[in-house]
Amino acid sequence: MSPRSPEGPRLAQGREHVVATTDEIKPGAVKIVPIGRHGVGVYNVNGTYFAIANYCPHEGGPLCAGRPRGRTAVDPDAPGNAVMVRDLEFIYCPWHQWGFELATGTTAVKPEWSIRTYPVRVAGDEILVTALPTGGR
Amino acid sequence: MTTTQETRHPEPSTVRTPIRVVDSDVHPVPKAGELAQYIPEPFRSKYYLSHKKGDTIIYDAPDYAHAKAMRVDTFPDDGNFAGSDPNMALRQAIVEGGSDVCVLEPGFGTHYLPEMSQALCTGMNHWLANHWLDSANNWHERWRGSICVAIEDPPGAVREIEEWADHPYMAQILIRAEPRPAWGSPQYDPVWEAAVKHDITVACHLSRGRDDMMPMPPVGFPSYNHDFMVTYSLLAANQVMSLIFDGVFDRFPSLRIVLVEHAFSWILPLMWRMDAIYAACKSSMDIKRKPSEYVKQHIKFTTQPLDYPEDKTELTRALEWMEADKILLFSSDYPHWTYDDPRWLLKHLPVQMREAIMFKNGIETYKLPDTVPALDGKTMVF
Amino acid sequence: MSMVHSDGTSTPVIDASVHIHFRSNADFRGFLREPFASRGIPDVQMDWWSRPGGDHAEAAEDRDKGKDHPASDPDITGDWLFNQRKADIAVLHPMTRGVLPDRHLTSAVLAAHNEMMVSRWLDEGAYADRYRGTIRVNPEDITGALREIARWKDHPRVVQLGVPMQARELYGKPQFWPLWDAAAEAGLPVAVHLEGGTGIGLPPTPSGQPRSYEQYLGFSALNYLYHLMNMIAEGVFERTPNLKVVWADGASDFLTPFIWRMDTFGRPHLEQTPWAPRMPGDYLPGHVWFVQGSLDGPGDVGYAGEWLGFTGKDSMLMFGSSYPNWQLNDPAKLARSLTNEQRDRILWRNAAELYGIEIPAPAASR
Repeated sequence: MSPRSPEGPRLAQGREHVVATTDEIKPGAVKIVPIGRHGVGVYNVNGTYFAIANYCPHEGGPLCAGRPRGRTAVDPDAPGNAVMVRDLEFIYCPWHQWGFELATGTTAVKPEWSIRTYPVRVAGDEILVTALPTGGR
Repeated sequence: MTTTQETRHPEPSTVRTPIRVVDSDVHPVPKAGELAQYIPEPFRSKYYLSHKKGDTIIYDAPDYAHAKAMRVDTFPDDGNFAGSDPNMALRQAIVEGGSDVCVLEPGFGTHYLPEMSQALCTGMNHWLANHWLDSANNWHERWRGSICVAIEDPPGAVREIEEWADHPYMAQILIRAEPRPAWGSPQYDPVWEAAVKHDITVACHLSRGRDDMMPMPPVGFPSYNHDFMVTYSLLAANQVMSLIFDGVFDRFPSLRIVLVEHAFSWILPLMWRMDAIYAACKSSMDIKRKPSEYVKQHIKFTTQPLDYPEDKTELTRALEWMEADKILLFSSDYPHWTYDDPRWLLKHLPVQMREAIMFKNGIETYKLPDTVPALDGKTMVF
Repeated sequence: MSMVHSDGTSTPVIDASVHIHFRSNADFRGFLREPFASRGIPDVQMDWWSRPGGDHAEAAEDRDKGKDHPASDPDITGDWLFNQRKADIAVLHPMTRGVLPDRHLTSAVLAAHNEMMVSRWLDEGAYADRYRGTIRVNPEDITGALREIARWKDHPRVVQLGVPMQARELYGKPQFWPLWDAAAEAGLPVAVHLEGGTGIGLPPTPSGQPRSYEQYLGFSALNYLYHLMNMIAEGVFERTPNLKVVWADGASDFLTPFIWRMDTFGRPHLEQTPWAPRMPGDYLPGHVWFVQGSLDGPGDVGYAGEWLGFTGKDSMLMFGSSYPNWQLNDPAKLARSLTNEQRDRILWRNAAELYGIEIPAPAASR
């Protein structure tokens, strides 16, 4: 059970912070770091790192306690006519299962519903997140 | 806070705080092995213990294999199901969520034998009384319970109501809408009679049975949880029409009904439709008043699930036209995945309606006190 | 002819739903060929839940002088609709004998009604140019339905197809897709209407049999919501973008709360129905219409016009008298708080656009 927001002092707004080492967050995993009021989830999606606000804009659920997975696409050749694609690239809120693309914080059905993402970069074996959100409501 | 079932529990605060949020729908669930002892014989051995236990899920909610149709963050660490731990529910639904008093509504399915459905209800009632409403688990005085009854077994239902009517923390009777025929049939009159005799509200929560008690629509089965759950409200709409057109409120003028988790904005066009039918067919009808009057005086609806358009001012207008402050009761549906957070819900209510919907209607419907012992750190909703 | 209002303006009127019948059983049998002419077929409108006192308006009973079935004579009916009630155009919808267990028999019965309608009402008579027609087809006999569509789709006065509301599978399911595809390709909307008469089916409410006519009346029209939500979730409007559906029993007011629910609940379910990738409400424009009946609407209240604007209902409603049914709708019953534009849309503009009906210029100007 993930905490709603992580313990420890808030990392200062507007600055870049080292939040983890690269081997701390394995592919498919998340670390929630103390940026912003509810924390930020740092995800490893197939070797690329993304950071997204741990707050669902719907009713305020703990977004990063959800299960990352792909999206469903129509495939007329597959049994049941559906397949999952782009595994682990999306996060779904553990409350009402609203899905968001980790890279962009958006969802295809209504691009105007988006949430805040944070710039991430890797330097050596350190993951750095800038505590300056982009996008979002 | 730590407590054991039998012995220690915290002392309630001597400071009392006003009830500002009555949550009309919270779902407690027995821990593994907790329920069987309370189901009466011969049903316990003949039907409950002798049959395989397992998941019967159809019309599955999103990501069901992982989330089990629950908020994923509500599962306790001991491996039991979401809603099985009164302390965790207290923390999440009341302290963090902000509800002051919660009406507990156990889930119970519909068995093909009415007597077995009733035996399951009997078990649920004893379990709830002993594991949530007892002094060890209700030391904070914020849980209220439901007297579960199988309406399809009217004599058994009356027996349950008589047994539990005077329990200090049982606040309502709980029935299901799936059994046939609809509630206006005189065969159910003994149940309404017992309810009004003790002046207890009768609530109905949606459920699932099998086949014609799925519920089965008249024109075919929906394909997905999506179209199934959306059209589910039509069962409640039909029950409302039966209660009114079949004269239940004329026979029982003090009967109160609550429809839980059936949505509510459909009652606005339904009141118009019933009134139009009444205006056109009055000469061949026996009911004494306009149908919409019966709705406003006898029927309430829970706010969860709140449905709304993109333009939320349309919801505001609809709430005004239906006189929502007369007919709505706040509910959260904790711990289900369709949970409505009270602070979120509040924002959607016109300011002048908030007190009625968030607590005044609830206090009146469930005969609650105005105050409860204070709890440290409890979220203030408004 | 058009309707002159108390404020001096005048509006054309298209009556989107007139229920026509054969004159008698003998008349009906005359349009059946063997072996179906010798089959057992229920009498017309032998409804289990019929209205006490009869299903027809008194005005209709009187008109046909008690000898023939109401709405069976094109001249008598036309005089009522166009001279007395001031409609300009009427869309005819044959009411048949029920959803019969033998789909072959049902298809033969429908074909007889279609032939009668075209030959007697659309092709000859004083009012032929004022009538438009609904071709009845049988969703349980897709091959036969396609044949019937091919036969009548190019008739200049045929404007839509008709299927019953009663079904044992919802209309979003794939067994019906060839029918919707053929309708869309022919450019014909599909009107769904409760089939009268006796036949096979499930009880009309989700709680089984109602105990009163009023409850039957109240609920049965609402069954369209099961069909519509299933069609949306099954992606019918995604795969057949030109399909148009008319819910001919009215109850359009319920669309608003139910599409609110469908949308609110929709986002989490997208991953289960990838063939319907858009928000459910986005599938309504251009796909959904309603006949507006006398039980619809909030009454003559100040907010009736505002309510009508919700969910774009003012582009969906088409006035229908349902003559000769007792619910006999009347344009005068429309709420006064509707704007002129809303009233025009309901009385003729939505139907004119949907069915491609040209209203003569003098009648259209105000």
